[in-house]
Amino acid sequence: MLQFILNGLPIGAIYALVALSYSFIYAASSVLNWAQGDMVMFGAYVGFTLYQVFNLGFTPALFISMAVVALVGVLIQYSILRPLRQRKAPPINVIIATLGVSIIIRNVALMIWGPDAQLLPSPVSTKPVATGILNITPQNILIVVVGLLLMIIFQYLLKQTKEGKALRAVAQDRYAAMIMGIDTERADRVAFAISAALGAAAGILIAPIFFITFNMGAGIGLKGFVAAVVGGLGSVPGSIAGGFFIGIIEAVVGGQISSGYRDAITFVLLILVLWLRPSGLFLKKKGQKV
Amino acid sequence: MKKNKKIFLMIAVCVLILTLPLYINNLYYLHIINLAGIYTLVTIGLNLLSGYTGQTSMGQAGFFAVGTYVSALMMMNFNFPFLVAIIIGTVATAACGLIISIPAMKLSGPYLVLATVGFGEITRLVLLNWTPVTKGAAGLTGIPYPEIFGLKITSEGQFFYLILIFVILGTYIAVRLAKSKIGRTFSAIREDDLAAEAMGVPVNYYKIAAFVISAMFAGLAGGLFGAFSGVASPDNFTFDDSVAFLCMSVIGGNRTILGGIVGAFVLTIISELLRVFQGTRLIIYGFILIFTVIYMPNGLVGIMDNIKKNYRKNNKINE
Repeated sequence: MLQFILNGLPIGAIYALVALSYSFIYAASSVLNWAQGDMVMFGAYVGFTLYQVFNLGFTPALFISMAVVALVGVLIQYSILRPLRQRKAPPINVIIATLGVSIIIRNVALMIWGPDAQLLPSPVSTKPVATGILNITPQNILIVVVGLLLMIIFQYLLKQTKEGKALRAVAQDRYAAMIMGIDTERADRVAFAISAALGAAAGILIAPIFFITFNMGAGIGLKGFVAAVVGGLGSVPGSIAGGFFIGIIEAVVGGQISSGYRDAITFVLLILVLWLRPSGLFLKKKGQKV
Repeated sequence: MKKNKKIFLMIAVCVLILTLPLYINNLYYLHIINLAGIYTLVTIGLNLLSGYTGQTSMGQAGFFAVGTYVSALMMMNFNFPFLVAIIIGTVATAACGLIISIPAMKLSGPYLVLATVGFGEITRLVLLNWTPVTKGAAGLTGIPYPEIFGLKITSEGQFFYLILIFVILGTYIAVRLAKSKIGRTFSAIREDDLAAEAMGVPVNYYKIAAFVISAMFAGLAGGLFGAFSGVASPDNFTFDDSVAFLCMSVIGGNRTILGGIVGAFVLTIISELLRVFQGTRLIIYGFILIFTVIYMPNGLVGIMDNIKKNYRKNNKINE
C-alpha cells in the first residue's frame, strides 16, 4: 500500500503542474483551455529535440523548452483568445476555439516528429534503488523535487513580481483591476505564458518514464483538469493538492483494485466530488451573489 | 405571389431530398449523407440541451454509445424486432441522462463540462472492460439489419429513407418542443437561471428534462447507427466524438434546430472533403473551427439570417 502511494507521488507532481496550468488561465481569464494537455506534449517533444539533436544537457533543455512553449501560449492568447474576448464570444465558442488549437498542435507535432513513440533518456537512473521494503527510482525523486521547486518558484514570482501582482488582481476582480489601470490583456498573456511553461515542464519531467507521442496530451491534459477541479479550479494550493490526490488515488486503485477500471473510478470520484462539493475538496464553499 | 414562390421552393426542396438516392450513384457519398443524418439527431438533441438550456455537454458520445449497445444487444441476444430494440435503447439512454442530470443540474461552466466528459469516459471504459457483455475492445460485430413490418433494410438507399423518416420525426418533435412553453422555459434558464427560479420556474426539473431529452435523441441515433454500420466498438464513442458533436452544434448554430441539422451535414461533409489533404487535413479542420467561432459567433445559421436581413433591407431601399 505504501509502495503504491509512493508510486503515485511522481505522477501526482505531474498532474499538479498541469492542474496549476489550468488554474492560472482560468483564474485570470475564465477560459477553459483544452490545448493545455498538448502543451505538455509539445514541451516534451521540444525538450527531446534539444536533448537528442542539439545535445544540450537536461537543465538547459528544460528551460529552453519552457520558454519556447511559453511563446506558443502567448501566441494562442494573442491570436485567438483576444479576438474572441473583443467580440464577447460565449464561453462555448471559446471552448471550441481551444479545441481547434489542440487539434492543430497535435497534428503539427505529428508532421514534425512522426507517429512513432519516443523516449527521452533520463538524466538520472530509472532503475529502482533497493531501500529494504520500498522501491524508489532516482527519476521519480527528480520529478517530485523539480516539480515542487517549480511550483515554489512560480508561487514566489506570483507573490513578489509586478506581473504576478497584476495577475492576482485580475484573477480577483477583472473589472476592478481594469479600472485601476492594470492591462488585463497583458495579465492574460502572462497567465498563458506561465501555464504553457508549466505544461512544458511537466512534459519533460514525465518524458523519461512515459513515451512521448503526438496524442499523449489528451490523457494527461484531462487528468490534470480533473485534478484542478477536484482540488479547486483557480486556486494554487488546491490545484497542487488535487494533483497529488488524483495521482495517489490512481496508483492505489490501479494497483489494488483494477487497472482496467482505474480511470473510470477516477471519473466516478470526480462526479461525486462535483456533486457533493462543487467548489473542490480543499476550498471553502462560496455563495452565489445575485 | 410571394407566398406561392415560397411554397414552390419548399416542394422543390422536398422532391430533391426524396429523390436524392436516384442521382447519387456513388454509394460512398450516400453513406456519408446517411451518417450525417444520424449525427443530425444527436446534434438536434444537443442543441436543445446546450443551445436552448445553456447546459454544455461534452459527453454526448456516451449517450450515443448506450443507445447503440443496448439496442444492438437487444436484437442480437434476445431477437427483439428492430423497432422494439431501438425503443428499449432510447429508454435506457434516457435513464442514463436522468442519472447524470442529478449531479449536473447543480453545475455550470467548466465544472459541468468536466462532469459530462467524465460521464462519456466512464461509459467508454465500461464498454471496454465489461467483456462478457460488450465483447471489450473488439466490440460488437454482426448487428442484424433492421426489419420493419417484414421489410428488410439492407442497402444504402433503403437506409437513406429509414434515417430520413427518423430525422423528419426528430426535427418535428424538436421544433414543436422548442416553440412550446418548455422551449421558452429552457431559454429563460439559459439567460438567467436565478431569475427564472425567482419567477417560479422549477429550474431543476427543466434542467433534468433537457438532459433526458437530449440523451433520448442521442440514444435513438445510436440505435440507428448500430443497425446501419453493423459493427460497434468503444473506439466509435471516444472523447473526440463528443467534441465533434459539440463542434457540429456550435458551428451550425446551437440556438436553432436548423443549426443542428446544418452543422451535422456541413462538418461531416467538410471532414470528408478534406481527406484529399491527407496529413494537413486535421490542421485545416482546426483552423476552420477557430475561424468560425471567431467570425461567425452564432454559427452558419446566424450568418444566413444576417444575409437575409441585409437582403430585405436592400429591397426596401430599392422600393
